[in-house]
Amino acid sequence: MADIQLNNVTKNYGKLEVVHGINLDIEHNEFVVLVGPSGCGKSTTLRMIAGLEEITGGEISIGGRVVNDLAPRKRDISMVFQNYALYPHMTVRENLGFGLKIAKQSKDIIEQRVNEAAAILSIEDLMDRTPAELSGGQRQRVAMGRAIVRHPQVFLFDEPLSNLDAKLRVQMRTEIKRLHQKVKTTIVYVTHDQVEAMTLADRIVVMKDGHIVQVGAPLDVFERPVDTFVASFIGSPPMNLIPGEIALQDGRLHVVFQAENTMPVPRDLADKVVEGQKVIFGFRADDMMPKAHSLPILGEAYDLRLAVDIAEPLGTETLLFSTFSGADIQTKMFNPRRVEPGEVMDFNCALDKTHLFDAQTGKSLRG
Amino acid sequence: MAMITKKKIGTVATWIMTFLLMIVICLPGLWVVLTGFRPNREILAKPAIWIPENLSLDNFAKIFGFGAEQIAIPVPAYFTNSLVIALTSTFIALLIGMSGGYAFARYRFKHKNGYFLGLMLSRTVPGIALSLPIFMVWSKLGLIDTKLGMIIIYVALNIPFTIWLIDGFFRQIPKEMSEAAQVDGCTRWQAFWQIEFPLAKSGVASAGIFAFLTSWNEYALASQLTRSTDSKTLPVGLMDFTAQFTIDWAGMSAMAVIIIVPALILTFLVQKHLIAGLTFGGVKG
Amino acid sequence: MSSDHIQPRRKRSRDWTPALLLSPAFLVLIFVVLVPLLFSLYTSFTNYRLIRPETLYDWIGIRNYQRIFSDKHFWSAFGRTIVFLTIALNLEFILGLGIALLINRITWGQRTLRTIMMFPMMFSPILVGYQFKFIFNDNIGILNNALQDLGLSDGAIAWLVDKPLGMFTIIFAEVWMSTSVFAILLLAGLFAMPRDPLEAAKVDGCNPWQVFRHITLPFLMPFAFIAMTIRSLDVARAYDIVDVMTGGGPAGRTELLWTMIARVGYDNSRMGQANAMAYVSIMLSIAFTYYFFTKLIAARKYMGGAE
Ligand SMILES: Nc1ncnc2c1ncn2[C@@H]1O[C@H](COP(=O)(O)OP(=O)(O)O)[C@@H](O)[C@H]1O
Ligand SMILES: [Mg+2]
Repeated sequence: MADIQLNNVTKNYGKLEVVHGINLDIEHNEFVVLVGPSGCGKSTTLRMIAGLEEITGGEISIGGRVVNDLAPRKRDISMVFQNYALYPHMTVRENLGFGLKIAKQSKDIIEQRVNEAAAILSIEDLMDRTPAELSGGQRQRVAMGRAIVRHPQVFLFDEPLSNLDAKLRVQMRTEIKRLHQKVKTTIVYVTHDQVEAMTLADRIVVMKDGHIVQVGAPLDVFERPVDTFVASFIGSPPMNLIPGEIALQDGRLHVVFQAENTMPVPRDLADKVVEGQKVIFGFRADDMMPKAHSLPILGEAYDLRLAVDIAEPLGTETLLFSTFSGADIQTKMFNPRRVEPGEVMDFNCALDKTHLFDAQTGKSLRG
Repeated sequence: MAMITKKKIGTVATWIMTFLLMIVICLPGLWVVLTGFRPNREILAKPAIWIPENLSLDNFAKIFGFGAEQIAIPVPAYFTNSLVIALTSTFIALLIGMSGGYAFARYRFKHKNGYFLGLMLSRTVPGIALSLPIFMVWSKLGLIDTKLGMIIIYVALNIPFTIWLIDGFFRQIPKEMSEAAQVDGCTRWQAFWQIEFPLAKSGVASAGIFAFLTSWNEYALASQLTRSTDSKTLPVGLMDFTAQFTIDWAGMSAMAVIIIVPALILTFLVQKHLIAGLTFGGVKG
Repeated sequence: MSSDHIQPRRKRSRDWTPALLLSPAFLVLIFVVLVPLLFSLYTSFTNYRLIRPETLYDWIGIRNYQRIFSDKHFWSAFGRTIVFLTIALNLEFILGLGIALLINRITWGQRTLRTIMMFPMMFSPILVGYQFKFIFNDNIGILNNALQDLGLSDGAIAWLVDKPLGMFTIIFAEVWMSTSVFAILLLAGLFAMPRDPLEAAKVDGCNPWQVFRHITLPFLMPFAFIAMTIRSLDVARAYDIVDVMTGGGPAGRTELLWTMIARVGYDNSRMGQANAMAYVSIMLSIAFTYYFFTKLIAARKYMGGAE
């Protein structure tokens, strides 16, 4: 069993604390992605799991064993580095076999395991080259191959795709997912790219400034962000966030924005807010579309008119840019047609999918 | 048309200047080497004999104690001393330098620049200035005129620069290499010898050659701290050929050849890595 | 998960590995450099003479320093040393720059040229001294022979004896030996030079001189500082050259601080006084190195290097 527990883990560099008491339980065979903006402490956390950074406080256990004082080699893990860290003076075959050689495995076993890993990653033809003779994508595969030959309990990935070009990145993403299905191991994967996080993870861990902000399945995090940070970090385009104030109008609570625009408070949130409360209203581009260009709306719909400043056709859909009460917002349309700059369109808002956040704490009022 | 001729003139000028430069660099050495193969009689001839008439190995045979003419200068002993002292001190300086260079390249610690500067400053002490107190200390310790005494000094002399060079070479190797090896099952010690050392090998070798040459060529300290065939090195021995008023030019030139040849061979081996080492260590920080 | 499972926060132990790794280097340097220097600092306040061991305890305060500071021979050796270093280092820089620019223009045979250029660096200073003593010899030296046989001079020019010429030949030897340090590092700098700023400057209307002055030269300065630092580490190598060429003579005309130390310490066996002079020479070297090293650190920052 290779479950991982982080128990109130902290990390200091000198006096500066960069990871502030993280708690996280990762299940056996789970694919967990740590995601967050650059500098939020993802790599540091991963490297503490790997044993490459000393743990300042708290406790990390792998497979029920506390590993705080164990050297990396004793943790039964393997790691793929951002710049691959392939050994330049060894061929691909030697790179793959190095860990097994160090572990004093027999030649036959090394050969068999190396070939097996090569087959999984389809790098059989590259075995006698050196890293310098490989392309970026090939190096990436070799680095993954080196990670899997030892059949470790846990794989750690630190931004493994960030040095690849966009197309290759998408391709390797699928391969990593496929690899996880094949080798069935616990994976902790670090990225700053929320698309990678969404597509790969069983569970996403969103981090900010050395804290864990939210943990959950990708769709849960997408649909129920706990605060404005997660709301704007996860999902593309980011959630539209507009500040406003709660007021009673026509017998129903409304969010009143700048310039007298209003929006009714979704019914399930009506008892979570009070009159006069400052809030931030949030909705995703998919939940505000021009009539006749939208998906069928479940639940309550709300109509409003918006002038479209710019339209960006992407093919199946078109992104629409407008201003609403002083905030720049993005919406979407399907079945695209030509949109003139400044054209006023009638929109449908899926009110039940919108969000309200407390303006002071930024926390979601869905709770 | 004008452009082309201007360019041509430029090219020709470049070549002429390069040619002159090479003459200035090579001619003095070549002249000394040539002299090493000529008899004293021809060297001292007036008017000068420009085209050598008698080239022979006689001078070399003489200083190595073969041949008819014998001289009292024990060059084979000096040669052995130089070799033993230079090789041993280089080996030790490399071990210490690798350890120190690795510390500078891989660890963060307080006052790092200060320690580095301290190391460098220890090297700036002029040999002759250092020789006075070492002379006093060494005579108390019985290290005057011993190979051990010289080896210890040359180790100290070579440590700063060796650390500088090796630090530069280790910095070029990403830290992730060693980390990957540790995750792959190595101890830090194994990771060093299996991964980082092989990658820095050529740099370490060039640092070694540099250290060897420093020891091989050193004069200021050796001239004061060695006396006899027990420890006298070639550069000090060279001065044996000068008496108060006479100089054995032929013998001295032959000995110069013996000192130069290893230096030239090693320069040839080291040149590529040396530039890389100095600039990476120095500029890329 | 109850909280008593969590270990009490261990006191952060400092990582002693770098200290351990650096300790052999510092131990050796303390033993070979620092301790003797402290000892010599002490003796510089005594009347210590090698031949009379009991004088080691003859404390005379700063009398040695007073004596050397009021000695006009000391000051002329000191001044000569400063002049020698200033001229030599500047010449080496300018010539090295010229050579680097020259070789940078050559494509065919450049590797060979670079290797040849490194040879003087590897020569033993004592050999360089001998080589030029031989070449500049008034009687049998190749230079005078050539001048005479070409009819350019009838008498023998006393290169090593004549007053200004003696210093000239010594500086010549020193420059011959050390210019390649500059040439090689500046050449490395030229190789590392990015193309874009050069092209941008040309597009912006700079003439070749302006491009050199405002783009190339500033980029090369850190490399020049490396060379200066390396050179300042062992400027005193010049002692070897002078010792073999002129021995500081005749009549002290080529006397540098370092040859003076040797004579006072060993020939006159006034160790105390020699150590006082040695301290002046050490301070001089340290000042040189410190100056260039801080320049180098500053230049590194400017180049965007780490730390
Ligand atoms: N060796 C170090 N010394 C001091 N601070 C560091 C060190 N490594 C990382 N940090 C700091 O710790 C924080 C977290 O870094 P990191 O875990 O690398 O972020 P991420 O991987 O999320 O981009 C950053 O603010 C970074 O500046
Ligand atoms: Mg990171």
